[in-house]
Amino acid sequence: MSFFRSKQMRYYSLVIPRESAWVVMNELARLDQLHFVDYDPQLPMISRPFANYVKRCDDSIFKLSCLEQLLKEFKKDLIYCENVDSLLDYFHQVQYDRMKPGHTYFDELEQEIDQKKIQIQEQSANLQNLLDRVNIITEQKLVLENAKEILGQSVFQQQTPHNVNDYQQLKFGQIIGVIDKEEEVRFKRIIFRVTKGNAWVQIKDLNNEQIDNSMRKSFHLNQNNASQPRCLFVIVYPGAEESSSFRMKLMKVCDSFNRQRIEYPNSMDEMQKKMIELSQQLQEAKNLIEMTKQQLEKSLDGLVLQKQGCNCSYFEYMRLYVLKEKYLYVNLNYLTMRGSIFTGYFWLPEGMELVVEEKLRNAMKNNRDHYPTGQIQEMKPYPYTPPTYFNLNEVTMPFQEIVNTYGVPRYQEVNPGLFTIITFPFLFGVMFADIAHGFMLFLCGIYLIFWRNSLQKQTDSMFNQMIPFRYLIILMGFFALYNGFIYNDYLSISLNLFGSCYSPENEEWKRESKDCVYPFGVDPVWQASGSSLNFMNSYKMKLSVILGVIHMLFGILMKGVNTLFFKNYLDFYCEFIPQLLFMICTFGWMDFIIIVKWLNTYENNTDPSIIETMINQVLKPFDEPANPVFPNDPQFQLRVTQILTLIAVICIPWMLLPKPLILGSRHDNNKVSMSDSQYQPLVMEKQVSEQDEDNNQQFQSDLQNAANLRSFTEQGKEEHDSGEIWVHQMIETIEFVLGGISNTASYLRLWALSLAHGQLAEVFYDMCLAGKLDAGGVLGGLLGGYFYIVFALLTFGVLMTMDVMECFLHALRLHWVEFQNKFYKADGYLFNGYSYKKILNDNLKQANSK
Amino acid sequence: MDLCVFGVDDGYAEAIIRGLRASFLTEAQYQQMKNCASIPELKSFLEETDYQNCLQADNPQIPTSILRQRLKKKLADEFEYIEAQSTGTLTKYLFHLRCRFMIDNVVNMIEGLKNKIDIEILLSNIDPLGWFPEIKNIKVLEGDDYSSLYRDVLIDTPIGVYFMKFLEESIENLHENRTLNDIQNLFREMKPEYIRTSLKKMWLEDFYLFCEQELMPTSQEALLELLKFEADFKTIQVIYNSIGNRDLNTAAKIITTRKQLCPTIGNLYPDCEKMYLQAMTLDALREAVKGCDNYRDLLKDAPDPLKREEFNVQTKTLDDIMYDDECRRYALAFDGQGSYGVFYSYLKLKEQEIRNIIWLAEMISRKLAKNHPGWKKIIIPFSHLGK
Repeated sequence: MSFFRSKQMRYYSLVIPRESAWVVMNELARLDQLHFVDYDPQLPMISRPFANYVKRCDDSIFKLSCLEQLLKEFKKDLIYCENVDSLLDYFHQVQYDRMKPGHTYFDELEQEIDQKKIQIQEQSANLQNLLDRVNIITEQKLVLENAKEILGQSVFQQQTPHNVNDYQQLKFGQIIGVIDKEEEVRFKRIIFRVTKGNAWVQIKDLNNEQIDNSMRKSFHLNQNNASQPRCLFVIVYPGAEESSSFRMKLMKVCDSFNRQRIEYPNSMDEMQKKMIELSQQLQEAKNLIEMTKQQLEKSLDGLVLQKQGCNCSYFEYMRLYVLKEKYLYVNLNYLTMRGSIFTGYFWLPEGMELVVEEKLRNAMKNNRDHYPTGQIQEMKPYPYTPPTYFNLNEVTMPFQEIVNTYGVPRYQEVNPGLFTIITFPFLFGVMFADIAHGFMLFLCGIYLIFWRNSLQKQTDSMFNQMIPFRYLIILMGFFALYNGFIYNDYLSISLNLFGSCYSPENEEWKRESKDCVYPFGVDPVWQASGSSLNFMNSYKMKLSVILGVIHMLFGILMKGVNTLFFKNYLDFYCEFIPQLLFMICTFGWMDFIIIVKWLNTYENNTDPSIIETMINQVLKPFDEPANPVFPNDPQFQLRVTQILTLIAVICIPWMLLPKPLILGSRHDNNKVSMSDSQYQPLVMEKQVSEQDEDNNQQFQSDLQNAANLRSFTEQGKEEHDSGEIWVHQMIETIEFVLGGISNTASYLRLWALSLAHGQLAEVFYDMCLAGKLDAGGVLGGLLGGYFYIVFALLTFGVLMTMDVMECFLHALRLHWVEFQNKFYKADGYLFNGYSYKKILNDNLKQANSK
Repeated sequence: MDLCVFGVDDGYAEAIIRGLRASFLTEAQYQQMKNCASIPELKSFLEETDYQNCLQADNPQIPTSILRQRLKKKLADEFEYIEAQSTGTLTKYLFHLRCRFMIDNVVNMIEGLKNKIDIEILLSNIDPLGWFPEIKNIKVLEGDDYSSLYRDVLIDTPIGVYFMKFLEESIENLHENRTLNDIQNLFREMKPEYIRTSLKKMWLEDFYLFCEQELMPTSQEALLELLKFEADFKTIQVIYNSIGNRDLNTAAKIITTRKQLCPTIGNLYPDCEKMYLQAMTLDALREAVKGCDNYRDLLKDAPDPLKREEFNVQTKTLDDIMYDDECRRYALAFDGQGSYGVFYSYLKLKEQEIRNIIWLAEMISRKLAKNHPGWKKIIIPFSHLGK
């Protein structure tokens, strides 16, 4: 029954001595059944006892993510863990083999991660430095070569002028260097301003990033685009003296651009020498790079390696272990520390107590130092409501998810998720009714179910995202197929599967025999009759109202079940019963006459209009119906409708009045004894704190304050109550009565969407296929092929994706609004089990999707 | 009218700013920060807040200067993002806002170079909000030759205009037959602080003009009000600081200097100008500004500048009082809808927050007792709104 109602929960307190806290928490996390309650939600995380552990874990995770970056850069593929259970067992095994207290393993790992990170980062920094060095050397070479081209030979052959005034023989100096490409214009301008135009500046692109990348490629490294484009500059200025102020100033400007300046050799020979020197340096640097790279790869390989018995890379192993450790400490932080004892509270599903105690005993046994382990004790859960816990499996999960998206069920109330499993795909099917389309959806579901394992590996596949919803999809497909058979609709064509009861004869349809009925679904002859749309519309419309009323009545019944379960007899008698009666007497009756009308034959245009009958029933309560639904018994019909209308009208004040009146009188009675009840919570809170034997004054006064506050607000609430109850009840009543009409109308979407679906399918069929395939010859074949492709694409794009989505959304709405508003409170909160498995699984997904 | 079309261009940028409102530290968080016992503890606390990402890579024993740099970097990044998302007038406006930081940076660089501090250190200390590519070229500065600095480097920069005006004004003030020597002397004696104040004054006036001419009425309304107060505060500060200043020995010199440094906008100008220019004591200053707004109340608690030597950490200085009042105004302006005042206020309030954090970090690193009055000297943005 744990899916019909959420599991019964018990509230326990847990007491663990400090020494064994880690062991106990480690054991309990394997159980997946505890929901820890934060002892003091106001307390900031940072001032909790294990905040620094959490912090350390975070640091380690950060370091690991740095390493991961490097691993990716060097294209090392990690082996990711696929089975969390076996990994957890492996963790356990490692702990067991260590023969040391469990929590110290994290210290070791932390140190190891730290070392690895420092070591590897150092190596990669070295590599980067060397690469930069190589870059600089190649750049120098390039600059020199280019400068030689620009300046030419004549620079070396300048003579000291004999005559200072002889401009022909003026000597020129030059500055050569590298700047960032984006600063090119600025550089030129500043030089111009500083020299007042008396210098010649030449700038040329170096294309250094290409060189950089090609060099990285030659070492099989990833290309990075971080290197900015640079260019070389050559400034030629008058006056060659080394120490002229002009030169000094230019140098200062060039230096302020933060890139290198290169000495230009004085003669051709020196130039040659310099080039050779540079080539040598380059070679040396390249050798060094090769060596560094090998070292780095070796250390990285150590991380990728799979340890014996473990199902993933060592890196992944460390990452998951640290995550697990962090999770443990975060949860341990929910407990409070008193001296050397931790106290905390948790929720546990009923009947699990023994298992937890067993675990605790186990922890004691496995505990090397045989410290006493924790103890649990059941507590009164007041004033907290327990969490809502369902034991879900892969089939029920998506349906519960549909319900939870609207709101998590209140603790122990009827869970709409159970009914949703069938009603949701069914209502979807009513709207998406088509044999072919339904079958395609069904096939899609089958594909997802049977090829699940191989699909799971294709992370980029669209189907991968749909895997969790595979059972939902297959059911949706199945019901669409089923309803398609009922409507007898195959891509807008009716199938004559069982042989129609009518056959054409002299331009008229002749019925085979009086008793002949098409065995399943609608007789295909309707499609040929010309009035098929009229017939189908009326049929689908009535069907959807019938389904809707049944659905809603079921919802109201669930309300009854809820009120009985919670022993809320006031609601049972003053809300549930009038609501049920109202619904049955109005729309239930309508459904009934629809069916009666189907069963009877009417002669001479006396067939009754259902809407008219319903309206007259209220407007002319004493007139006999002109076209009675019961052909022979109008008197009987009148009497029944009179009674039903009377009941329905009585139900409205019944819903509105008694509940607030009774609550009001109860309130008056309570006023006398209120002084007692007011102090009730206070005393209980005190007991709780006394049990902890803690005389912390602050804590006591806080509790006192909280309790006072609560009783104060309760008092305030009581005063407002009677007015509020009236307003509330009025809203409820109006909502229900009006909702009865509007919700019933809302179910007409079942008809409308299936009509839209059918019409779309028909349009596509008529426009693309019908008639187009008749043309013969090669051209006809080609055209037929072409139109078929158009048809297939349209069918897929519009019907199989958009219409599925649309029908899904409308089915969702029918459940959330029309069905669930009849009984569903949806103000619970989810059970959040303390489980390694969950946290690791969550983090596995991330690693895979990256 | 402009409220209808505000969102067309600037809605996104405003939305981001509104979202960033959540990143302000709350009063409770400040309380926790005060309880931190050491710098690593403070850092790990900040990592729980919005500042997480900018601090994660640092060593726990982070020096205050680097901490400040990191916090500012975060603010600058946010601002850069918003600037990149803005169009038209808003882009111009945001750029104008940044000019204030550029002025600070340039003056800091000049000051540093004068004191022969290594250029690398200076560059690493510049405020990222006021970064511009020419800043590293300030290195070219030789001696006190500001005019050649302007000619070679600053002419191209956004703050070149202010610098030019500043140079022109300084030279004009010299007597008629000036020589090159006189100008050099003038520059040599000029204090960087003086340059900063004059440049900022020009910036403020220019910004005011910009707001008046280019912005939509709603933005104008909010911003001009803020800028007026800012100008007034600046004026009061100048007067206040020049009271009893020994460098300005004659009364005439004080008045001319004051005249140069006081903005020619604001509520005090020109009505009270004569009064405040001649105020030589705190009481006279109080008297001069009494006609405007709540300035008199503000100055009531200000300590007497003539007793400057007696100030210590505990003294609530004029700056503190001003910051407090400004903070209130910015918080109010931040909540205004459909105006550019939001961006201005955000910047100012974040600056205040960074100042607070740095102040607390200083207090923590000095290990002052928890009952030291200095702990109370932080101004929490948005704390005024609740009262």
